[in-house]
Parts: sequence; C-alpha cells; structure tokens
Amino acid sequence: MFSLNLKIALRNLWRNKVITAINIGGLAIALAAFIIVTMYFTFETGFDRANPNYNEIYIIGRNLPDFKTNYTSPPLGKTIKAEVPEVVSVGTMKVSFFEIPVTSKNAVVFLSKCLYLDYEAAKMFNIKPSNGLVKPESTTQNLFYLSNENYKTLFPNNKNGVPELVGLGSRSSGMTAKLSGSVYADPHSNIAFDAISVVKEVGLGEGYGYNNYNTYIQVKPGTDIEALEAKVNAIYKREMIKADEDPNHETFKATSAFLDPLKNQHLKPKAGTGIGYKILMALSVLGILILVIACINFTNLSIAQAAKRAKEVGVKKVMGAYRFQLSLQFLTEILIQCLVSTVLGLIIAEIILPRFNNLFGVNLSIWTANSALLWQLPLILIFITLIAGVYPAMVLSGFKPALVLKGNFQKSKQSFWLQNGLLVFQFSIAVIFITGLLIINSQLTYMRTQDVGFKPAQVVYIKNLAYFASPGKFDPIRDRISKIPGVKSVTVANTIPDGSDGGKNSYTVDGKEQSLTFTGVDFDYFETLDIKIKEGRTFSREFKTDTVNSAILNEAAVAKYGLTHPIGKSIKGCQNKTYKIVGIIKDFKTLGFEKPVEPTIYSINDPCGNPKTEIMLKIEGSRMSEVLNTLKSQWPEINRLDGDNFRYQFLDEMYGRLFKKQEQLQSVFFAAAMLTVFIAMLGLFAFAKYITNSKIKEIAVRKILGASNLQIFKLINRTFLVMVVMANIISFPLAYILTKKWLETFAYRIDLPLLPFAMSAGLTILLTIITVSLQANSAVKANPVGALKYE
Amino acid sequence: MIQLNNIEKYYANKGVKNYVLRLVTTTINQGEFVSIMGPSGAGKSTLLNIIGMLEEPTYGSYEFLGEDVTALNERKRIELYRNHIGFVFQAYHLIDEMTVYENIEAPLLYKKVGGAERASRIADLLDRFNMVAKKDLFPNQLSGGQQQLVGIARALAAQPSIILADEPTGNLQSAQAEEIMELFKKLNQEDGITIIQVTHSEKNAQYGNRILHIADGVVKEDVLVG
Repeated sequence: MFSLNLKIALRNLWRNKVITAINIGGLAIALAAFIIVTMYFTFETGFDRANPNYNEIYIIGRNLPDFKTNYTSPPLGKTIKAEVPEVVSVGTMKVSFFEIPVTSKNAVVFLSKCLYLDYEAAKMFNIKPSNGLVKPESTTQNLFYLSNENYKTLFPNNKNGVPELVGLGSRSSGMTAKLSGSVYADPHSNIAFDAISVVKEVGLGEGYGYNNYNTYIQVKPGTDIEALEAKVNAIYKREMIKADEDPNHETFKATSAFLDPLKNQHLKPKAGTGIGYKILMALSVLGILILVIACINFTNLSIAQAAKRAKEVGVKKVMGAYRFQLSLQFLTEILIQCLVSTVLGLIIAEIILPRFNNLFGVNLSIWTANSALLWQLPLILIFITLIAGVYPAMVLSGFKPALVLKGNFQKSKQSFWLQNGLLVFQFSIAVIFITGLLIINSQLTYMRTQDVGFKPAQVVYIKNLAYFASPGKFDPIRDRISKIPGVKSVTVANTIPDGSDGGKNSYTVDGKEQSLTFTGVDFDYFETLDIKIKEGRTFSREFKTDTVNSAILNEAAVAKYGLTHPIGKSIKGCQNKTYKIVGIIKDFKTLGFEKPVEPTIYSINDPCGNPKTEIMLKIEGSRMSEVLNTLKSQWPEINRLDGDNFRYQFLDEMYGRLFKKQEQLQSVFFAAAMLTVFIAMLGLFAFAKYITNSKIKEIAVRKILGASNLQIFKLINRTFLVMVVMANIISFPLAYILTKKWLETFAYRIDLPLLPFAMSAGLTILLTIITVSLQANSAVKANPVGALKYE
Repeated sequence: MIQLNNIEKYYANKGVKNYVLRLVTTTINQGEFVSIMGPSGAGKSTLLNIIGMLEEPTYGSYEFLGEDVTALNERKRIELYRNHIGFVFQAYHLIDEMTVYENIEAPLLYKKVGGAERASRIADLLDRFNMVAKKDLFPNQLSGGQQQLVGIARALAAQPSIILADEPTGNLQSAQAEEIMELFKKLNQEDGITIIQVTHSEKNAQYGNRILHIADGVVKEDVLVG
C-alpha cells in the first residue's frame, strides 16, 4: 500500500514538474532562512547556558535617576554575603578594556578584554584553567591566565601550561607578570575574556564610591527573587547612608539596587538597550513568517491541484479506502516534498551562512556534532508538513465520490475564497517588507549624507597606553609628529567620537546645577576633528590660562543651562574647580543618530576624567600611506612611553560602526523583502498557471466570440490585481506604524516619506501583471479549436 | 438482495422541492442483470448512486443483503464496498498515475489481501481479459475499450457480489461496446454476479434479464427480458 502510494506521489510530482519545482524550491529557500534564524536564536539565547549554576546567578545593578548600571562597588557584595543566607556565593569582577600588549620571546598578543576577578567568581562561572582552578593563598597572590589561543601564540612549545614569565605593556615599562597557565575562554559567555587574573579578593580597600565592579550572586535554588531584591536594596541603602550619603537628597531617593538574572544579561539586561533582543525577536518573527508564507504556497497549490486528484479520491473511496488512509496518503506526499526541501534548505543555508556570520559577527556552523539542529530539524520538518499538509489533506480526502465521479466537478466557492485570502496575506507581508526596506534605505542615506558636525575622514586614531594627563606632557610628542610632512594637526583626548560615552559629572553655572558629559582634550582637538565654533574661540596656546581653567561648551550644554551670553561665565564642577567659558562649539554627533547630542564640557585641565590616552591625527589624504609608514618606523622614538607597537585605526571606520546595527537591519530587510516577494511571486505564478489552465475553455469560447488578446489578458489579470491592491491597502497602515516606530528610535531622523508606499504598490502591481501575463500568454495565443475539440 | 421502499430524492431550492426520484419501490434479487433506462435527467444515475450508497435518499428505506443501509456509518459502508460492491464508470475513472496492474491491485490492497493471493488474482484477471502484455502500461496508453476492460477487471478484483455500472459503454465505439456487454452477460450467467447498469441503449439493455424504465423520477415500467 505504502509503496504504491509512494509511486503515485512521485509520478504525480514528476508530471507537474514546474509546480513541484516551485513548491520545493520556494520552501527550501524559506527553510534555509528559517534554519539560519533558528541557529542564531539558539546561539543568542545560549549564552552561559553551559554553566551549571545558570539559573541561580544574578547580577546586582543600580537604578540611578538618569540610567541603570551594572557597575557596583566591591564592599556591597561582601556585606550581602555576610548578611543574606539565601545567597550561596558572591563573585566580584572588574573588566579592563585596555588593549595591553603581552610579550614573550616568541611573539606579542594584545589583550582586549582582561578580567580581574575573585576566586569565588571564577568558581561561579565555572572557569577551568588547564592546570586546575586554585584558590590564591594570600591577598597579594595573583593568578594570571591567558586564553588557550593566546597562550599558544606566545609559547608554542609549552604544552603543559607550566608557569612562564611574560612582559606586560611596552618594553620600556619593564613590567612583567608570572603567567600561571592557560584557560579555556568560552566566547559563548557574558563574561567572555581573553585573559583573567584570579585573586583572593578584588577591590581591597575600596569603598562604596568605587563603582567599577560587577557583582554576581548565586542564590539557593527556589529563592524568592523579589524578596531577595528588596533585601539587597535595603542593605544597599543602609550602607550608602553609612558611607555618608545624604538620605534626603533627591538623587539618593531615586537610587536603588536591583537583581538581574544572568540569563537575561546577553539579550535584555535591565542596564542596557535590549536592542539585541529586539533584533532577535524581529528575526525570529521574520523567519517564521517566511516559512509560513512558503507553507501557504504549498497549501494553495495543493488545493489548486485538487481537481486533478479528485477522481483518484472518488475512485479509491468506492474501492474501499477509509478517509484517514487518503489523508495519510496526501500527508505522506507533502512530507516527501518537505523532506527534499529540508535537504535543499540545509544546502542553501550552508551557502548563505558565511555572509550571515559576517553580518552578525557570529560564527555559526551547521555541521557540529552537538548542534541543536539535530533535534530541531525533525521538529521543523514535522511542523511544516503539518501546516502545509493538514488542510489540503482534509479537503482532498473529504471529496464526495458521487460528486467527483460525475465528471463535472467544480471546486467549492469557499476554498476559492481561502486561496485568495492566502494570496492577499502573502502580498501584504511582501509589501510591508518592501516599504520597510525603502524607508530604512532613506534613513540610512540620510545618516550617511547628513552633516554630523565633524569630519572623521582622514583622521587616524593611534592606540596608546601612556597617560598624557597633565597639560603639556603631550607637547614633545605633538612636536615630533607635526614635523612629519603631511600631518595637519595632532591632539590627544580621553575619548574619541566613535559613540563611546564620556563620564558625567555635575556642573554649576549661575547657581544652576546640571549633569554634563566631560571630555578632556588638548590643543587642536577641534581643529583635528574640524568642529565648527559658534561663539568665542577654541583652545589656543596664546592664552596661558587655557591649560588651567578654560572650558568650551557645546550648544546642547548651553541650552540645558538656558544661557544667552555664555562666553566669560564661570562654570563650577569636577572637584569644585571653577572654569571660565571661552567658547561654544556647534553640536556634533559623537553618539551617532540614535541618541541626541550630550550636553558636554571640554577642557584641557581635566582632573576628574580618565587620563588622556587617545591620540588623533589629521593627515592629508594624498600622503596617508607615506605618513603612516613614517610614523610606524619612528613610533618607538616618538612615543617613548608606549612605542613598541604602532597600531592605528581610521576614525571614519570607527564612527561608521555606529551604523552597523542599522546596516544589519537593512540587510535583513533586504533579504526579507527579496524572499517574501520571491516566494509570493512563486505562489502567484503557480496559482495563475492553475487558474489559466482551468479557464482554457472559457478563453477559447471568448476568443471565438471575438475577444481580443488584450481583453483576455485584462480578464485574467483583473482578479489578481484586485488581490494585490487589497494587500497593499491592508499593509499600508501596518507598515506605517512599524516604520514610524522604528524612525522614532532615532534622535535625528527623516520625516516618514510617502514615496516608498507608492513604490511598493507600483512594484507589486507590475510584478503581478508580468507574472500573470507570462502564464496567460500560452493560453491566450493558443488556437481555440484545440481547447474546444475535446470534451 | 436489494430492497428499495418508497425511495425519494429531492433538492430544495428556495422552498421549492425539485424531485429527482419519487416513491421508487423495487426488489433486485441475487443473480439478476438489471438495466435502468430512461431519458436524460430521469434520475437513473441518482438511483444507481443510491443503490451504491454514494448518495443518501431524502426519504424511504433501503436494505442491502437484509441490512438497513439508509444511515450507515462510513466504516460499515466501506466494508460493503470492499467485500460486495464493484463500480464501473462511463469515463472509466482509472487512476492515471497507476499502471494497469496497479489499478487492478488497488482495491485488493484496501481489502488487505495477502501478497501471493493478490498476485494470483491479478494474473488471473489479466489473463482472462487478454491484458497480460499491457499490464505495465498507463491508462492514457490504452484505447477506451481497453480502459473499460481494466475498469471492469478492477471492479472484479475484490470478488464482489454485485457490479454497479453507470453507462459502461457510453464512451465506446459499438464493437467495443458489444465486447463489454458480452463480458457482463458472461459474468452474470457464469459467475452469478448481480449486475445493475444504467444505459441509454435498448440494444445494451437486451443483454440483461430485466429493465426498469424511469421517467421524471418515477418507475414507469418494470419488464423482464427474453
């Protein structure tokens, strides 16, 4: 029985080769997209899942009036550990993002994320050095491990992980460290690192003001987290008061501590934007939608071909087949097609994966032994077989033999409505993506062409670890660099305008206190970045006071204070230092387009900010490579403090990374629009083929009655056009709301344009006419005699 | 074998009843060869469909082999199809994707006849109808008469006690039609299979032993032949 059904299925599929190919191909492409999305979903939700304490680990964060942060101070964890019995262990760590060179005789590696953590944190995160995790005996002992890869680069011959001595920082510093061995650095973890330092206790002697640490707690299974959070918050508040905070101050009242589970840290941390989560959700919805659309094609086509199979159903029923046997037969047929699609889908996914990995900065692979796909794929297969197959199987197996065997079988009106409805649904989704893509394109074009207020082009950022905190310390280096022909200007600052947040502090002007971002800069900072001055002047060597107490504000800061004549006013803040405002610059978008420009104060003398380390040069475009070569060869002499390794980046590339998320979105929408349009067209193509075939007689009769070809084309196109127009009408409000919401995530954005709506309507209508007319062509051109001769 | 009592069939359209069959009462015994005749639209096919349980009468009772089948569930009805009833159609209704052999085999698969038994029955039928050489051909490679032979072989495969044929020769040339009617006659006389056919042709009706004349849904005449 089964083998016979299989044979019939294959013969049937073979006979309708085109439709079969459309069905299987469309589904395979959709499946490829879905498989990749599934893999990405598994990856993104799997951070730290390998940790046996996954569900019991929480990070302690703080709610501050303006923002939330995961940075806490070291004593907080200790107090909680001592007082709260539900907390099994407390791990504290500090992350250093400084790029530190580590050298051996053989090679040099650069650490970009070094983790400084206590033994308990290492245990909590299941960190396993190759020679075992040992507890540091004294508070001065420091167990330093490099990731396996880095270790191998430095000591290719040391297989046993025997302790070695390495150089830290530039050679001139002469700093060394004892390397205790190598450690597996799990990249699939929230605390991914490339080196760790395990100590007995971190932040020794640091009080409640030192909020530079992450405190993780591990609770007993089954703990009431809300109650625990309240307890933690109470302890935090009490300790803050002990540490001389004023309990009546507004800021204090608005501050609290919270707990955030480890499993949320990667995608939707409380102290974060959750944009990763949103992107993941959007992708998942997209993947499912595309798959559903492809399944709808299946359903549509299977029902469209129902008339062909109706006779078979009728005959089999009078031969004694039960309905379920027939349902099973049709389901099996669809299962076969889905199986082929799945295999094809895997192949397509394998082909697309490198591009996807590149776009999303991940490293997914299908062919890994413990891949979750092993159990996901069969589930997906069953899922699509059911969605695509159940309805047609029910419809087909439900035919009444008395009706279908009479020979003049007509499909019921109901299924016709259903097919139309499904087509409208497909087109609606396609229209949403086309409109979305066009609007995203407009916004990105706007972002690329809009004046950001400074010119990152031809600005080179040189990585440097040496501090140039005190004014004047940088002068010799500037002099050396400036002598190189082709260098226009040189400066140093404590942050670069690549979207990084500066520190914040309270400043007072005319008795009005406001929180401002403060940036420590040097002479020529504004000139190097080509920032326009609005009022007053930039820092100049001619004014001796500029290295002492001059400050420059941006427009946003002036607006925040509501100053009308800011030049010459005093501004007080940062260890009660008083500055004199000498200039106002035009706002420039250091943070990109999503966040508004921060009210910022710039000063050369900046005792409370991070030390100035970030060197920036403006170079003549035509002499770029020449200058970089000269710098490379002379760097050890120029920068005596950190001159071993000349490493640089172009500022425009760094700033361009701020657009990366949106460019990702654009790529995703591009792919989605192409896919949904493609799949909807496939569905339309096959459906039009069916409709035309079933109307061959009608067309012939009309031709004999004198209809022109054009009139017949119009006739066939009309129903499809109605559907496409309806789809457009349905999706416009949806697309409008979605794109408006998306645009609202930008501080600087375009007005919602109407052209994309018109364009997607035009595009879908045009594609529909082409697709349908191609199908109708053969029927229209055929000699009517052929169609009418045979009954 | 078949007992029809006051069978009525009508379609209600806007409150008006359009009668297809009115008060049809008749008995058909085992071994009879009955031809149902009448003008187009008289209700012949509907009567045959009701006898074949493909349609339900609106009113009246129907006993098949002594069992009331007017409201039979699907499972019971299918059991009857598998064991007692064979259908032959005007348009043959062979399954296009199956070869001659597979078409004949299909009902046996539903009846769950064992492999060896199945092979021997099919071989037997192919032999009897001189179709051995054509067993691997598909329906569209056969002439109409040959297709109808396969249709009959398929109906016979399950060894039914009754064959219901709706204009079995309607699409055939006269020589082929004669061949089919001879075959029916032989099946009726030699194998004792009850046959009920719907036909337009007086000539074809003469092959049987009883004719039911129907007009406007009413049995006008019930005559014995020969």
